Amino acid sequence: MALHRLSLRLRPTATHVRSFYTSRVGQQQNTVAAEPETEPFSVFRTKEDDPAFHSEKHIGQYYNVPSSHIQTLFHHGLPWRYKQQVETFNEASFMVRQPALEVISDLKQLDPSKPVQRYIFYGLKGSGKTISMCHTLHYCYTQGWLVLHIPDAHIWVKNCKELLPSSYKSSRFDQPFEAAEWLHKFKITNERFLSKIKTKHRYIWTKREVTEEGRPLGELVDQGTTRVRSSSDVIGALMKELRLQSGQPGSDFKLVAAVDGVNALWGRTTLKKRDSSIVDLEELTLIYNLRKLMRNDWIGGAVITTLSQTGSLFTPISAYWPQDMLGEIGFDSMDPFIPISVPNYSEKEFESCYLYYLDRNWLQHPQSRTEEGKKEILFLCNRNPWTMEKMCCVL
Amino acid sequence: MATHRSKALLILARIHFAGLGLQGSVSRVTYATSASANPSGRQGFPKRGRKDSYGTARKFRKEAEPRAVKMPVDQDWPTVCPVAIPFRATAIPLPVRMGYPVKGDVSPEKKGNLELVKIPNFLHLTPAAIKKHCEALKPFCTQWPSALDTDAKCDQLFPIKVESRDYVFAGPSVRTPKACVIHLRVKLSSLNLDEHARKKMVKLVGERYCQDTDVLTIKTDSCPLRQQNHDYAMYLLTVLYHESWKTEAWEAQKTVADMEEYGWENSPSQKNILETLVRMKVAGQGDGEEVREQLLGRTEVQRYKDSVTRLKNEGPSESSLLQYKEAVKKILSL
Repeated sequence: MALHRLSLRLRPTATHVRSFYTSRVGQQQNTVAAEPETEPFSVFRTKEDDPAFHSEKHIGQYYNVPSSHIQTLFHHGLPWRYKQQVETFNEASFMVRQPALEVISDLKQLDPSKPVQRYIFYGLKGSGKTISMCHTLHYCYTQGWLVLHIPDAHIWVKNCKELLPSSYKSSRFDQPFEAAEWLHKFKITNERFLSKIKTKHRYIWTKREVTEEGRPLGELVDQGTTRVRSSSDVIGALMKELRLQSGQPGSDFKLVAAVDGVNALWGRTTLKKRDSSIVDLEELTLIYNLRKLMRNDWIGGAVITTLSQTGSLFTPISAYWPQDMLGEIGFDSMDPFIPISVPNYSEKEFESCYLYYLDRNWLQHPQSRTEEGKKEILFLCNRNPWTMEKMCCVL
Repeated sequence: MATHRSKALLILARIHFAGLGLQGSVSRVTYATSASANPSGRQGFPKRGRKDSYGTARKFRKEAEPRAVKMPVDQDWPTVCPVAIPFRATAIPLPVRMGYPVKGDVSPEKKGNLELVKIPNFLHLTPAAIKKHCEALKPFCTQWPSALDTDAKCDQLFPIKVESRDYVFAGPSVRTPKACVIHLRVKLSSLNLDEHARKKMVKLVGERYCQDTDVLTIKTDSCPLRQQNHDYAMYLLTVLYHESWKTEAWEAQKTVADMEEYGWENSPSQKNILETLVRMKVAGQGDGEEVREQLLGRTEVQRYKDSVTRLKNEGPSESSLLQYKEAVKKILSL
């Protein structure tokens, strides 16, 4: 009902657009009259594709992410189910929601000389934390920031096939394959920066392999992808370089460090050493370096993270508060941070999502297209995005 | 022997009858049947001349109306039932039913119902009966002190409450082991304890203390007599009190993990925020005690400290996280 009234209210603006076009292009009235009709005005979509221009009035509306951005930025960042949806619908659309807008508006007013602010998206399972973070990252990417995106920190603390003793510090352990894979993806995302940024320190990998000062960052990354043994240390060096250089007067880039599932850094692992004792998190090179990145002792950027129970080890299913998921030590390390709550869909957002699925012909069941069906879906999924998506898959 | 003889006599009697050639209804010796209706035609009138096996005339009486029907509604029930009596269907005017329902029907009625007889009943303890008991006991009681008219006064003057229970036990002996259990309850606020003593007392008693009601409950049941248990409970209370006032040498090794509440001073949170503020150069250049003091004195820092303390002590909730978020935003925008 409300939707119908809303579309009525919006109709005058469409006709206003039409008259504007006709006044400018007088003779080609036929084609012009056809133009607004070929792109039907939809309540749940917005044409504003640039996250920098999203505001409160776009809340609840879907915007299209260009496929080039998907290839580079979201090569490994999107949730698995969402990736499948992108393939099915042939387009990637994010919903503009309040939590992401909050962080984006903060980032717009960022002072590069101040220590980095840390944002943590928290919320119930499936409420949209990862997608909100991706939306924010999209903004950073379009603004030309350097995106250091770890799509799931939990991968680094479990199911590691090979654990090598670190060459740099004997008490630590390297994870060469995970590190190499991540470096490869980092290269795809930040291709444009790799030749611009130069190293400030000299790194000695082995007797014969050295990265000198002043070499482009791309060389460092290649060192990691080709010489897999030293890839974990390469990541450490990379993070250090970026931390030192971002926001400095000489460099012209801002760094955004994004970690999905940051609670993995202070949780537990299931990795075992050769003598079957459990590995401590401090003993993993990757985790150690990531923890250093999460500190706010560098400037010129932001740290955006989410908490994730899915994939986390030894966390109860019902936990979602930052304190519970990070633990005492994690909380004290991330303190002071800005917690951003990501709630379930509001009524308007639910309507939007429903209309989007209808528009994409995703809801095939005839009952689901009726008012009754919509109420049923609303009741069953309780406006939780993940549950709604799972449910609509079978309809 | 006796049975033999009766049977023989019966047979003789029968033959005798048959021999007489009596027509009409064959006389049958009717033995005692159930309470269902008498055979038709025999309303209980004695058959003249009929004799039972012992040769005496048997009289059949009409089943009388149960007494319960004749009882007036406003009778004095305690006199009818002064002590515990077994359930007698005819004497109790209540239409109760008991037992598993017959298929398609309801529970069996009270007449002839063994289930009602088996269970204990408290028909002798109606409110009217209890009132009578109380009236009878009143001459032996003393008056409640008039000065103790409110609960608050009672708590103030008699902070220690001792609870004991008496049982009526019917077994090989009348004694129950449960009767010697004593519960001693006292509010910690009524004891003279300072901060350290209070915390130590709470740690010493562990589960016996309830945070919400501030009540310490000591249960003693290790001694055989109630008097002994009572003395033991009082002794325990005294010992706890005196011990909690003492400070041992090893208490100095109390760590952060042992603390009952979160304290912000010298916590990692304080360190973090001070470092951040120094890095942001909020209080000007330099790093030293005065800078620290100055930063700590700021209202934003105080507000941040309150929000963190609240978050840690009370646990996470929407409002406390919101407060924390506001405090962090304010402090980082300095």
